[in-house]
Amino acid sequence: MDRKCLLAIGAGALIRLLLFTAFPSLPTTLAQRVEISTPVTSYKRLQEGIYLYTHGVSPYDGGVFHQAPLLLSLFSILPPSTIITNLLYVFADIFSAISLIRIASSGVPTVTPHHVSPRKANSWPPWAIAAAFLFNPFTIATCIARPTIVFTNTIILHSVAAAVNGRRGPAFVSMAMAAYLSLYPVLLLPPLLFLTYDSLKTTSKPSIQAFSAITTIMLSIVLMIYFKLSHLITGSWEFIASTYGVHLLLPDLTPNVGLWWYFFIEMFDSFRAFFLCLFQLHLLIYVPSVCLRLRKQPLFALITLIGISSIFKSYPAIGDTGLYLSLLMLYNHTFSLMRYTFFLAAAILYATFLGPAFYYLWVYAGSGNANFFYAITLVWSISNALIVADAIYAVLRDEHETERPELIGKDVVQI
Amino acid sequence: MALRVPVNLRKNLSVVLYAFQGLSILAVIVGLASLLLLPLDEYSRRTYISENALLPGQVHAYFGGSEQNIVRAFRREVDLLGNSTSDVVSERMAEIFRSAGLKVGKQRYSYKAAGGEYTGENVYAVLHAPRGDATEAIVLCAPWKNIDHLLNEGGVALTLALSRYFKRWSLWSKDIIFLISSDARAGPQAWVDAYHDLHGENIQSLSVKSGAIQGVVVVDYPGAYHRFESLHIIYDGINGQLPNLDLINTAVQISRDQMGLRTDLQEMWDHNDGYRHRLRTMLRGMVNQALGHSTGPHSSFIPYHIDAITLATHGDGGWHDEGSLGRTVESVFRSLNNLLEHFHQSFFFYLLMAPKRFVSIGTYLPSAMLLAVGLTLTAIRLWVDPRSRSGEVGEKVEEVKEKSEKGEKGKEGKAGEVVAVDVGPKRELFLPMSIVIGVHFCGVIPFAVFNSVDYKSMSSAFYIFIAASVILPTLISILITLTASPHRLLPAFHLSRCFSLLFLGMFLSTLATLNFSLSFLIGLFSLPLTFARTTPKSVPLALLNSILLQVTSPFAALFIIAGYWGLGVEDILKEASFGWWVWRMWTPVVVWCVWWPAWVVGRISVDSSFVMAAMGKTG
Repeated sequence: MDRKCLLAIGAGALIRLLLFTAFPSLPTTLAQRVEISTPVTSYKRLQEGIYLYTHGVSPYDGGVFHQAPLLLSLFSILPPSTIITNLLYVFADIFSAISLIRIASSGVPTVTPHHVSPRKANSWPPWAIAAAFLFNPFTIATCIARPTIVFTNTIILHSVAAAVNGRRGPAFVSMAMAAYLSLYPVLLLPPLLFLTYDSLKTTSKPSIQAFSAITTIMLSIVLMIYFKLSHLITGSWEFIASTYGVHLLLPDLTPNVGLWWYFFIEMFDSFRAFFLCLFQLHLLIYVPSVCLRLRKQPLFALITLIGISSIFKSYPAIGDTGLYLSLLMLYNHTFSLMRYTFFLAAAILYATFLGPAFYYLWVYAGSGNANFFYAITLVWSISNALIVADAIYAVLRDEHETERPELIGKDVVQI
Repeated sequence: MALRVPVNLRKNLSVVLYAFQGLSILAVIVGLASLLLLPLDEYSRRTYISENALLPGQVHAYFGGSEQNIVRAFRREVDLLGNSTSDVVSERMAEIFRSAGLKVGKQRYSYKAAGGEYTGENVYAVLHAPRGDATEAIVLCAPWKNIDHLLNEGGVALTLALSRYFKRWSLWSKDIIFLISSDARAGPQAWVDAYHDLHGENIQSLSVKSGAIQGVVVVDYPGAYHRFESLHIIYDGINGQLPNLDLINTAVQISRDQMGLRTDLQEMWDHNDGYRHRLRTMLRGMVNQALGHSTGPHSSFIPYHIDAITLATHGDGGWHDEGSLGRTVESVFRSLNNLLEHFHQSFFFYLLMAPKRFVSIGTYLPSAMLLAVGLTLTAIRLWVDPRSRSGEVGEKVEEVKEKSEKGEKGKEGKAGEVVAVDVGPKRELFLPMSIVIGVHFCGVIPFAVFNSVDYKSMSSAFYIFIAASVILPTLISILITLTASPHRLLPAFHLSRCFSLLFLGMFLSTLATLNFSLSFLIGLFSLPLTFARTTPKSVPLALLNSILLQVTSPFAALFIIAGYWGLGVEDILKEASFGWWVWRMWTPVVVWCVWWPAWVVGRISVDSSFVMAAMGKTG
């Protein structure tokens, strides 16, 4: 880490601390935004859970709290002071930035054992990647609103940082933690496996089959330890249904930026089970295809899956998109190949402003209705999906041009 | 084959650029023209009652006869109290309400804004519904002093008389609250805030409350004459929000068809339902909506999703008296009493152009959206334009071609070798981005200054600020011209315009959904920003652009508004400051943090033409 990195981190921490101290009511205001807090990450619900937990009642009674038990123990150990809680969230973001710097300095985004990008000279320096994360308005808003997704994001980034450096132990222990906290990171395991395998520094590599078998077993053991710990903390297995059950079965239809809530409000109950399976499987089908097609660049496969799940998971928030966009900055060198950057950035901006306006018209002014907000979540999701697609196009084109340099600058024609 | 078209257009950029330019001009023209078409019969609609439960004018109104004598007695009472302090007034009002057998509450409030203090005491009484369960209420409000600071003799007297009269009926299924607010601007706001427990420190809580408020009718009947010509229906709320159209339709239908009272909108006293009068009514409505200020005591209720109107009397020569007004209010209250659920059927977004003529959002929104789209299309054009890239574009493209040819040759020799790619001229985003974001952050300064300065120093602060914002863009462009390398200058100004227009287009289209008129008017004033560009090689053109920008600046708009009302600029600023602190009016935020920054960025690009011409860096 050089001085610029430290400067970026310092400025990022400073802006967060400033926002926390200068606007004491901002965290509560932001925490109530449905775009930032979801039923499975909300800080308000976490406080409810902690209250019940410290008063000897099962935190999952009452059906408000849907977060993992280990978070409860973390927050009940902490002294009940907002300053310390705020600092914890700021540290989480700093830690994420450090992980991003480590990922960027490893060079994996441009050089993998199977692929060397011809544009590697154009990639951004680590400090710029960290700054793009720390000054991303979505990340800042998420940090200030204090949903627990901040920790999931930090752990995912830590895991990826360990993986690109070939340290498989920390990589898989933390990815297991991320999956334990919010379920969907479990989809990131296959690309993480490839990523770790490619970055292994040992001279005698095991075969990929043996490697994946060992790590999967290791991961299951770690997960089981987490579950057992949770069981010890809460004294029952109730938490499984109240946390993963909620992710999977969508009992809480509070609006969010995703595509599920409206769909399941409108749906007749007899179709509910079918479409739940369909929506969940839909997320799953991307994993093998993305991993296989992007086998040469497993880091990009992982980022793409983060992007896809930030659109299609059951309770997405802008924090997920913030993570995806920050990670995408690692592939900045291929952006010149993207075709719709300006349009997509404009669409995201429009959705960012129109979303709260339409939510206001629907919920507060009463002059709009749910369709207003849903229309904007559609625009948001479409633009995110197009960013994912366009980034894949750019990276694949970059790969293609290393194989066939004579095609550089030529047009692409879809047949 | 779908991809072939955009890829090929990439090579024939001029086609795209012309197309975008044409489209954005077309969008603006169509947007403006469609607004002017709205008053025509083909585009506007006749109003109609959408909520069947209202049944306006279906009941006989009995207010009259001896009740009229009571009104006159109360009018005398009010007249005697005319110059008393608010303590005396509120005590006497409370006494009268109590003697009618109603529960009475009082509320003191105090607001500070623009160096002044606004204090008063509201009195209100609750009539519990004989057939209701206190979950719903309707409000009859009369400000002691109306919006023009005239003693609202008739309105208060009528409210007092109606409180006795309504008490005798057993048919009410909603509680009725009679509110005498001590003024028309701060009082109702303090009361409605406290009713919802959202009041500030210097405002007392309410001792008596009822259910959710379904509708509010304000009676504004000032002056010693008790005869009036027509009823003026005022409906604009804070921040340009409007009450449900059904409420206005009910009031119009009752007063015109049942009572034979003429109704006026937007101070158009001799409306002949022709094109010009319709257009003027609509434009006056749009100006009120755009300013987002309070036009009467009803305005404060509307942000709470409470539909409210003010019925103000107009003229002193007519043949209507307190009896007709009382019967109108009675009949409106009978209709409100019929409501089964909160107003929801009719429109919340509309422009009225005659008492019985309106256009709904679907018809008028496109015109504001088209203005915003025009700005966005210009932003896209500026982005696609090769001038947004630094360096000599033509040469660089050839270089790329050469390199790729070399790559082909190289490939024959050494297969699989990595070829370095020259990605050609890039857009330098950092400088323009920081100009635009920095200027937008600067918008907080005027906003904070004008909301904290005293009324006395308001005008001097304003003129200092005008001077500062005339100099600031020039200073910024000098600074940039001095520091940045010459070939990056034009692209930087080009891109900063692009981002600024993109932001403006985005803000305006968002705003159009919240406050259509404000968005439309700002869009109109911002039109010169779409073509005011950096022209270092043509100083006269830059001069023309500069003058045009000055004419359409936020300050010019302030002067126009001040002239429209015959007020000083400092009065407008005081009103804005009062609006921000009391009504939570967002117009100053939009002006200083959205419009002013866009204007400053426009000025920077134009001013840089002079600076670059003077320094000889014509790039």
